Amino acid sequence: MEALFCQDINFVEGLVRGYRSALLTSITYQNLTQCETLEDLKLQLSATEYGNFLANVPSPLTSSTIAAKANERLVSDFKFIRQNAVEPLSTFLDYVTYPYMIDNVILLITGTLHDRDLNDLLERCHPLGLFETMPALCVATSVSELYDSVLVETPLAPYFKDCLDADDLDELNIEIIRNTLYRSWLEDFNKFVEKIGGPTRELMSDILGFEADRRAITVTVNSFDTELSKEDRQKLYPKLGQLYPEGSFALGQADDIEGVKGAVAGIEAYAAMFDQLTSATAGDNSLDDHFFEHEAKLNKRAFLQQFHCAVVYAWLRLREQEVRNITWIAECIAQNQRDRIGKFAAVL
Amino acid sequence: MPYTTLFRSEEVAAIQLYFPAEVARSTVSALGEIGCVQFRDLNADTSAFQRAFVKDVRRVEEIERQLRFFGKQIEQAQIPFKGIDYDSLSAQAPSIAEIDELADRARHYEARLNSLNESHETLQKRFVELIELRYVLRETDTFFHQAHAQSGEIRQSVDSDDGSNLLDSNADVEHSAAASRFPDSGSLAVMNIGFVAGVVPRARMAAMERILWRILRGNLYMNQVAIDEAINDPITNEPVDKNIFIIFAHGREILSKVRKISESLGATLYAVDEDSRQRQTQLAEVNSRIGDIMSVLHNTRQTAHSELSYLAQNLQAWMVSVRKERAIFQTMNLFSYDEHQHCLIAEGWCPRLDLDKVHRTLRDAAIHSNSSQSSIMNEIGTLKDPPTFNRTNKFTQAFQSIMDAYGIATYREVNPGLVAIVTFPFLFAIMFGDLGHGFFLFLAALYLVLNEKQLKRAKYGEIFDMAFYGRYIMLLMGIYSMYTGLIYNDIFSKSMNLFGSRWTFPEGSDAETLSGVQIGTYPIGLDPAWEEADNGLLFTNSLKMKLSVVIGVIHMTFSLCLSLVNYRFFRSRLDIVANFIPGMLFLCSIFVYLIVCILYKWSVDWSMTDAQPPSLLNMLIYMFLSPGTVDEPLYAGQAQIQIVLLLIALVCVPWMLLMKPLVLRREANKARAAGYEGIAVAEQHGRISTSANDHEEEGVGAIIAEEIHGEEDFDFGETMIHQIIHTIEFCLNCVSHTASYLRLWALSLAHNQLSKVLWDMTLSNAFGMSGAVGVIVLFMAFAMWLILTISVLVVMEGTSAMLHSLRLHWVEAASKHFQATGHAFTPFTFSAVIDDL
Repeated sequence: MEALFCQDINFVEGLVRGYRSALLTSITYQNLTQCETLEDLKLQLSATEYGNFLANVPSPLTSSTIAAKANERLVSDFKFIRQNAVEPLSTFLDYVTYPYMIDNVILLITGTLHDRDLNDLLERCHPLGLFETMPALCVATSVSELYDSVLVETPLAPYFKDCLDADDLDELNIEIIRNTLYRSWLEDFNKFVEKIGGPTRELMSDILGFEADRRAITVTVNSFDTELSKEDRQKLYPKLGQLYPEGSFALGQADDIEGVKGAVAGIEAYAAMFDQLTSATAGDNSLDDHFFEHEAKLNKRAFLQQFHCAVVYAWLRLREQEVRNITWIAECIAQNQRDRIGKFAAVL
Repeated sequence: MPYTTLFRSEEVAAIQLYFPAEVARSTVSALGEIGCVQFRDLNADTSAFQRAFVKDVRRVEEIERQLRFFGKQIEQAQIPFKGIDYDSLSAQAPSIAEIDELADRARHYEARLNSLNESHETLQKRFVELIELRYVLRETDTFFHQAHAQSGEIRQSVDSDDGSNLLDSNADVEHSAAASRFPDSGSLAVMNIGFVAGVVPRARMAAMERILWRILRGNLYMNQVAIDEAINDPITNEPVDKNIFIIFAHGREILSKVRKISESLGATLYAVDEDSRQRQTQLAEVNSRIGDIMSVLHNTRQTAHSELSYLAQNLQAWMVSVRKERAIFQTMNLFSYDEHQHCLIAEGWCPRLDLDKVHRTLRDAAIHSNSSQSSIMNEIGTLKDPPTFNRTNKFTQAFQSIMDAYGIATYREVNPGLVAIVTFPFLFAIMFGDLGHGFFLFLAALYLVLNEKQLKRAKYGEIFDMAFYGRYIMLLMGIYSMYTGLIYNDIFSKSMNLFGSRWTFPEGSDAETLSGVQIGTYPIGLDPAWEEADNGLLFTNSLKMKLSVVIGVIHMTFSLCLSLVNYRFFRSRLDIVANFIPGMLFLCSIFVYLIVCILYKWSVDWSMTDAQPPSLLNMLIYMFLSPGTVDEPLYAGQAQIQIVLLLIALVCVPWMLLMKPLVLRREANKARAAGYEGIAVAEQHGRISTSANDHEEEGVGAIIAEEIHGEEDFDFGETMIHQIIHTIEFCLNCVSHTASYLRLWALSLAHNQLSKVLWDMTLSNAFGMSGAVGVIVLFMAFAMWLILTISVLVVMEGTSAMLHSLRLHWVEAASKHFQATGHAFTPFTFSAVIDDL
C-alpha cells in the first residue's frame, strides 16, 4: 500500500526534503542577528538558499520588501509542489490553503467595515488564499449576504453554514466567524487525514490536534473581559486535540489565566508552557512563542517518517516560521531594537 | 631550464604577498589579468559583511544591478545589443576614476529611464482607457440600435404591464429596460432604470456574471461583446483579452452595488450617454484625444528608444568593467589588513614556473601607478597540500579534463591525462574500427579544428559546445579509427583488396563449399578473402576477442607500473614491496601468462603439427581446477610451469594482505616502546614555528600559523581493514577487469555487423536495378544509407564507444594507480568572471 502511495508522492517528497534541508540553520541565524544594516542582511542571505532574491531590488532596502520577497519565494515553491501533486496529496494541499482563504475573507470583511481601500486590502491578502470572486466580498453587508453572494461557491461554504445565525457584522461577530471557520476547517481536515490513513494520519492528527488546542487556549485567553459569553465560547472549541473533551470543557469554565492553567494541567507540554510563562523569569517569551516552538518541534518530527503527505504541511509551516524570523530580524535591524533581535523561534 | 610536463602536476609554491595599500587595487587587477595566483581566504572566520572591502563590492553590485536593469529595458524595446568586443575583454581593468564615472552615469540613466517609464506608463494608461471608451461607445451603440428595431412590441408590453408587479420577474425587467431605451417613451431616469457600461478582462467575465446574478437575484439585463484585439496592460505591458459589457438594472441602490462589484472584479467603468447624438459627439472627442495621446506616446517612446540605443552600444563593455571590478574587491576581501604598516597581506599558491611572471607583474604595477613602494612576494613553507596544476594547451585540455572528471590527481602524482592522449582514442578505435566511419569522424573534427577561431565565439548550444571542446579528441579518434579500420580491413563493412588476396580458390569446381589455399601473408591487416568466407565471422571473432584480452592486460599492467613510478617518487619502499611486487606477480602469473600463451599459439602453424590446437580458456580454467594435469598441451613442461605460477599467485595474496599492516604495526610499536609517542607531532610543530619565526620580524607571524595535522595514532584495525579491502579488490578486479576488456571485442563486432546490415538493407538492394528506376532507387538508397551511416553508425555508435573507452580509463586503468585525492588549482583570473557575458 505504501509502495503504491510512494509512486505518487515521491517526487514531491524528495522536493520537499530538499527544501527542508535548505532551511536556515542556527549558525546562519547567528550571522543574521549580527548584521548591522539591511544590506548586511541581504549579503548574508545571499549565501543561503535564498540566493540573490534581492539582487534586482534597488536600494534602499526596507524590511517589508525583504519579507515580501521571501514570502514570494515560499509561495512559488508551494505552487510548484501543488502543480506536481496528484491525489490524495492535491486535495491535501487544497486543505492546506483554506486557512489562508479564511484569513483573506476575514481581512476583507474587516477592511470593508472600516472603509479601507479595496486595492490595499487585496495587496495584503495572502497569495495562497486568493480565489477568483474574492474581491466581491467588499459588497456584502451582512453574514447571509456574504454567504449567498460569494462564499457559496468557495470551498469554505460548508464551514460557513454554522455562522449563518450571526446577525450583523461587527468586530465580535467577525472574530466569532473566523474562529468558527477555523474550527470547522480543523475538524474537516482531520476527517480527511483520517481517511488517508497511515503515517499521514498519525503525524497530521498530532499537528492538527495541537493547532486545535492552541486555538482553544488562545480564544479563551483573548476572550477574558469581552462580551463573549461562555456558551458561545464553548462552541468555538474544535472537537479534536489533546484537550478535547475534558480539557475543552474546563477551558469553557475558565474565568482567568489561572483557570486556563488548571484546564490544561492534564497535558504535560502545555502545563510546562504555562509554568514557564508564570515563573520568575517571565516576560522572556510570550505564549505565542512557546506555541511556535512546540509547533516547530511537531513539524520537524514529520520528516522522520516517509511516504506521507504531512511533510509538505510541515515544511510549509517551518518555512513560514523562517520567513517570520527573517522579517523579525529585519525589523529589529531597521528599527534599531538590537536587544530584542534574538527573540524568534528558531526553526532548526 | 624549467620546462612544463604533463607527466606530473607542476610544482606549486606557497607564496605570501604584501601589497602597499595605495597600489593594492591595481596590482590585484594586474594579477587578475595574468591569472596565475590562487589566493587563500585569510578571513575564513569573519562573516561576509565584516570584511574590509564589502562596501566597495556592494557599490559595484549596485552598478551591476542598474546595468542589468538597462539590459532588461533594452531587451523589451527589442534593440539589438552591440556584440561584445572580445578585444575589450583583455583590456586593462578600469581605474577607480572610471568606475566612479560609470557609477554616476548609471545612476543618471537609471533615473532618466525610470521617469520616462513612469510617464510612458501614465500615458499608456490614459491611452488604453480612451481606446476602451471608444470600443464601449461603438458597441453600446449597437445595443441601443437593436432595441430600436423591436420598439413596437416592447412598447406594448410596457403599456400593458405597468403597476407594482412590473419588476416581479426577470422577463419584465428585461422588457422594461429595453423599453426605456428609446427616447420617446421616456428616458431611463423616468423609468428608474439605470445602466452601467464598462470593460472587463475576459477571464473575469464568468465570475462577474455569476456574482451579479446571485447578488441581484437575477434582476438585471446584461449584454456583452468581446473586443477583437487584445489590449496591452499599461503596467505589465502584456496583452489582455477584454470584453465590453453593459448592464441594465433597476434602482439606485442596486446600480451602485453593480458598480462596486464590477469595479472590485477589475472592470473599468465608463460613462456613456444614453442619447445617441451625445454619444456621437463623445466618440468624436475621444477619437481626437486618442490622436493627441498617440503622438505624445510616440515621442516618449522615441526618446526612450534613443537613450536605450546609446546604452545598448556600451552596455557590454561596462558590464565587463563592473564584473572585473567586483572580482578585484572580492579577492581583496580574502586578504588580511595590517594596520601598522598600512598594507594588505595575501597568501596563496603560484606555480613555481610563474613566479618570475608574478614578480614582473608586481613591479610593473608599481611603476604603472607611480608608486614608490612595490608589492613584495615571498615564498613560504607550508604543510598544507598544494593544489594540483597541470598546464594544458588547447590540444591537451580536453584529454586532461577526461581524467579530471574522475578526480583531481594528488599533488605531483603521475597524471593519467598524459597517457589518455594515446590510450583513449586507441581504445575507442578498437571498438569503432572502420576506415570509412573513422574518416567521417576525422573530417568533422578537422573542420572544427581548422575553424576553431571563428567557432570559439559562436554559440550553437550545449551539444555543439561539447563536440567543439573535444575536437582534438575527435580528431585523434578519427585518425586511430582509420588505422584500426585498415587493420580490420573494414570500410563501410566492405573489405579492400589492395594487395591481392593471399588465398586462392580452385577454379570451376561444382562443390557447395570451396576450400581456399593460403599462398602467403597479406601485407597489412586482415586478408580480404575472409569477408566472404563462411567462417569469416568465426575467424574475426576469435581474433578480436584475443586481441582485446591482450590489449586489456597490457593496459592494466602498464597502469600498475605507473603506481610503481608513484611509489618511487614518493619514496615509499614499503608500498613497492608490499603492494606493487605481489600485485605485479599476481597479474603476471595468471594474466600475462595467458596473453603469452595467446601470442605463442598464434605463432605456431598448427596445420603442420599432429596436435590439436588447445583451447586457451579451458587451459586457464583447468590450471586452477586441476593443477598439474594438461589435457591438450601447448608446449613441453606446461604442467610444471603452471603449478609454479599458481603457487606464486597464491603466495602473493597473503603477502599483499598482511605485510603492509604488520610492518606498520611493528614500526608503531617500536616507536612507542622507545618512548617516542607523539614525536612526529612535535616535529611538525617545530617546523611550522621555525617558519613562523622567520617572518616574525615582519610582524605577520600569526598569519602563517596554520592548522597542523598532527599524526594520528596508529590504528591497526583500520589499516588492516583497508588492506583487506585493497587485496580483495585487486585480486577480484584482475579477473573482472580482464573480462571487462572483452567489451572491446563486443562493440567492435556489433559495429561491424550493424554496418553490414545497413549496407545489405539499403545500398546493395539498389545495385541490382537498372535504367531510370535504378537511378532513382540508387539515389534514394544512397541518401538513406548515408544519413543512417552518419547518424547511427558514426554519431550514436561513436558516442557509445567513447563512453566505453571512458569507462575503461576510469575503472579498469585508474583503479590500478590513480589516487585522485588532490584539489584543483583555481587561479584568480578575469576570464572566469566574464565568461558568461
